[in-house]
Amino acid sequence: MATITQRPVGEPGALTAAGLLVPASLFVAIGLLVPIAILFRYSLNAFEPGKLMVDALTIANYVKFFSDPFYLQVLWRTVRVAVACTVFCLLFGFPLAYVLARTQSRFKNLLVMAIVLPLFVGNAVRAAGWMVAFGSKGFINASLMGLGLTSAPIEIMYTELAVIIGIIAVNLPFMVLTLQSVIEGIDRNVEEAAFSLGAPPMTMAMRVLFPLALPGILAGVILTFILAMNAYATPVLLGGPKFQTMGPLVFSTFAQQNNWPFGGAVSFILMTATLILTVASTLIIRRRYA
Amino acid sequence: MASLTLDGLTKSYGDNTVVQSVSLGVKDGEFLVLLGPSGCGKTTTLRMIAGFVPPSGGAIRIGERDITQLPPWKRNAGLVFQSYALFPHMTVAENVAFGLEMRKVAKAEIGPRVAEALRLVRLEGYGERYPRQLSGGQQQRVALARALVIRPDVLLLDEPLSNLDAKLRLEVRLEIRALQQQLGLTTVMVTHDQEEALTMADRLVVMSEGRVRQVGSQADLYERPADLFVADFVGRSTMIAGAVTGPGAFRSDGGLVLRCTGETPQGPATVALRPERLTLGADAAGLDNHAAGTVSFVSYLGAMLDVHVRLNDTDHVVAQIPNRADGRIPAVGDTIEIGWPASACLVFPREAA
Repeated sequence: MATITQRPVGEPGALTAAGLLVPASLFVAIGLLVPIAILFRYSLNAFEPGKLMVDALTIANYVKFFSDPFYLQVLWRTVRVAVACTVFCLLFGFPLAYVLARTQSRFKNLLVMAIVLPLFVGNAVRAAGWMVAFGSKGFINASLMGLGLTSAPIEIMYTELAVIIGIIAVNLPFMVLTLQSVIEGIDRNVEEAAFSLGAPPMTMAMRVLFPLALPGILAGVILTFILAMNAYATPVLLGGPKFQTMGPLVFSTFAQQNNWPFGGAVSFILMTATLILTVASTLIIRRRYA
Repeated sequence: MASLTLDGLTKSYGDNTVVQSVSLGVKDGEFLVLLGPSGCGKTTTLRMIAGFVPPSGGAIRIGERDITQLPPWKRNAGLVFQSYALFPHMTVAENVAFGLEMRKVAKAEIGPRVAEALRLVRLEGYGERYPRQLSGGQQQRVALARALVIRPDVLLLDEPLSNLDAKLRLEVRLEIRALQQQLGLTTVMVTHDQEEALTMADRLVVMSEGRVRQVGSQADLYERPADLFVADFVGRSTMIAGAVTGPGAFRSDGGLVLRCTGETPQGPATVALRPERLTLGADAAGLDNHAAGTVSFVSYLGAMLDVHVRLNDTDHVVAQIPNRADGRIPAVGDTIEIGWPASACLVFPREAA
């Protein structure tokens, strides 16, 4: 049994540890909390064309968002895309992470590199690559038509599907790496014990592997969901101007319409939605497996 | 319970053969121990029986049923691991119930059977605890209960005691053996600890380099080792290198002439001597082999004394003698008579290196 050594509070070590926390804490406070607070204050201001932002204390911006079907549509689309991406990342990522965690191959490091490699390419560059692939004369359509599988090009570009595929490609490495490190910590013998007790592979996975990998599943789901909710480059480039999601909407409200109060409100709605859904998914997964 | 048969079981990875044509029969209710140094193939053999390693050749049968191609979850083998391998997210009772749930045993029957299994391993009342709340010994007993509750055809133990501290090991050792006998379990255990192997087994299998060196009882291995490897691995031996010069005659490289038994053909050979078969002092003179030597080292072991005696420039032997109250403890440098009967010489032809 492991023993827990406790260091009495007030020993020099405690001070050093506190000291090491200061830079990160300051950074988070100044770089994140302060802007968020300012943004929140802005979101309660009023907007007058010509005068831009006017000091006020009103919830008009939030009312505007939730009473306009267009904005609700954008929010719903963003959530739908993010959920779809997260689910597929988990479905695709788990087997990959499992193989990566369990392989005895001497090429394991190369495999990990292959998973990480896409992260070396920026989002925008990658999305540009997908544009080439998805276009009506692109690689995919050319192949399908060349093989005689389709007679006319399939519309992939500027659809929800294109955006979902694009975001999955961006987020998958995060999911895989998160899951892999957790699965590596699970004793292989525990799986074998389940097999020897009569559990076929799927049952073993449901009863033993998933519950034990739960911390990794949660971390991976949270990470990829947040990334998908806030995606910017991928929906802009692959979704096109008509495919609005929350990330681009925040930017255009601020930068193109100069409507800072409403931009602040949209930002806050996005942040809150992300937080609520993350907590909800955490609770659901926990209840399901633990 | 049933008998277990391994028939020419082989495992190779590329050119590397780790288990070479192992054929063994484990009788119904027998406790068989696979013993050998690490890398001898004993664990791979056990994992082939459990179904985790697909054999490259040969067959495995439980009773008349050929299980060679069956996946682990269809084999009905109870497995106990060195690392316990309990499900950390389940309580003790849930751990034990797992195998029964997999077998679709009725809910009403699961409770009593789990309780019975926990009673067998003396852990009644621990059902609601989690594995991390138990000591190593208790965890291993839960693992045992979990393997037993499914009424396995064979019980497989993979170094089950190696993670326990020495005192606990002795306890759990006897406990497993008692349970095994009480339930009449056909059992295969893998270990590198020969004391463990000797106390628990009905029959032992000594393996080395993927091959079975000898199968037999404790006395067979100790008194009639099949080869030099077994003589060296099981128990302690002093080795004297030399050659067989005629029927019952051996001459050591150091010039010692020994009388021995057996029919080892003439040629280079090694004599192995068990330390406790040697006699020191006046009684030595009447024995088949006797010589004068110089005490070079004495280990005081409490009940016993190990006396290292140098016979000439190349040959030396170790004698183990009881530490009697009236006896004098030999001192280093003493000249001492040492002797042993011809039957104490285990002669093995020198293996072509």
